[in-house]
Amino acid sequence: MINPSTGPSSKAKVQHMMYGFGDDPNPLPETVTLVEEIVVEYVTDLAHKAQDIGSKRGKLSVEDFLFLIRKDLPKLNRCTELLSIQEELKQARKAFEVDEDKLATLE
Amino acid sequence: MKQSKDPFEAALEEQEESPPDSPVGEDELNSQTPNEPQNQTDGGHNLLVDDDDYDDMGPNIKNPSHPSSSSTPKLHSTSVNANVATRATTKNKEYDDDEEEENVEVELSKFPSSADPAKMAKMQAILSQFTENQMSRYESFRRSALQRSNMRRLLVSITGSQKISLPMTIVVCGIAKMFVGELVEKARIVMTERTESGPIRPCHIREAYRRLKLEGKVPKRSVQRLFR
Repeated sequence: MINPSTGPSSKAKVQHMMYGFGDDPNPLPETVTLVEEIVVEYVTDLAHKAQDIGSKRGKLSVEDFLFLIRKDLPKLNRCTELLSIQEELKQARKAFEVDEDKLATLE
Repeated sequence: MKQSKDPFEAALEEQEESPPDSPVGEDELNSQTPNEPQNQTDGGHNLLVDDDDYDDMGPNIKNPSHPSSSSTPKLHSTSVNANVATRATTKNKEYDDDEEEENVEVELSKFPSSADPAKMAKMQAILSQFTENQMSRYESFRRSALQRSNMRRLLVSITGSQKISLPMTIVVCGIAKMFVGELVEKARIVMTERTESGPIRPCHIREAYRRLKLEGKVPKRSVQRLFR
């Protein structure tokens, strides 16, 4: 996977992730490479399928991905959780910005 | 097949699986944790830069006493936070990053709707009893994430469309992370079946991937991949 990145490489991230899920603190490099390759293939296939579904509706949306993992309950729950978190953060930031404006106008 | 198992519980079972099978592995783990700081710094820094959003709220839902929680709504018991914080300060790891994050408090107008007091209490009870090893692993589990920028680039190249929304990137990153989890956990199961120990080898991952395909958890391609 060609991904020019400053900072921790994608491999380092995958390493941490594998350790978190049960691998050794220092996973074998070939294992990490293989996992990364499999994940890229997985995301690719998933995106292609989502695009197939999305093309019927017009454009690609989050709903298509959610539809694809509907049978996988842990993933589905996690995704809905992530989306609600993101929504809450958006609201919180909006409220924060409004407060800042008020402060600015007061002073 | 897991239905709605808490990823933490799955990870906990993972932990319980490995010790009996890998007495040598355990020693390796204990002696290799000093290497963690090298990696963890990057993870911690990246959190402040990239995964601000994710890690802000994540701990609130599942684990309010996580050392890296930067947003601490009033709902959470600060005592447990303090306990974890003191434990963090005694360790010579990059929990410096964690302390910085703890000082940055984000005021939230509403509490996370999925917060379940009973569940949170259970989590806190479990977390307070973690060994150092388990805590470090759990922290890696919570903090690790695929980079959204890379994921976005990948999605753009796959779909050919520039309009990849932020929620989509987040969702796909989450799905991919859980997929990695499934792979690693299944690989560990394969290892225990073969009574092998130590770091996971590619053959275990391949066997795990094969089994996941049989279970239907991997999207099948309608057209075979000819050129790699």
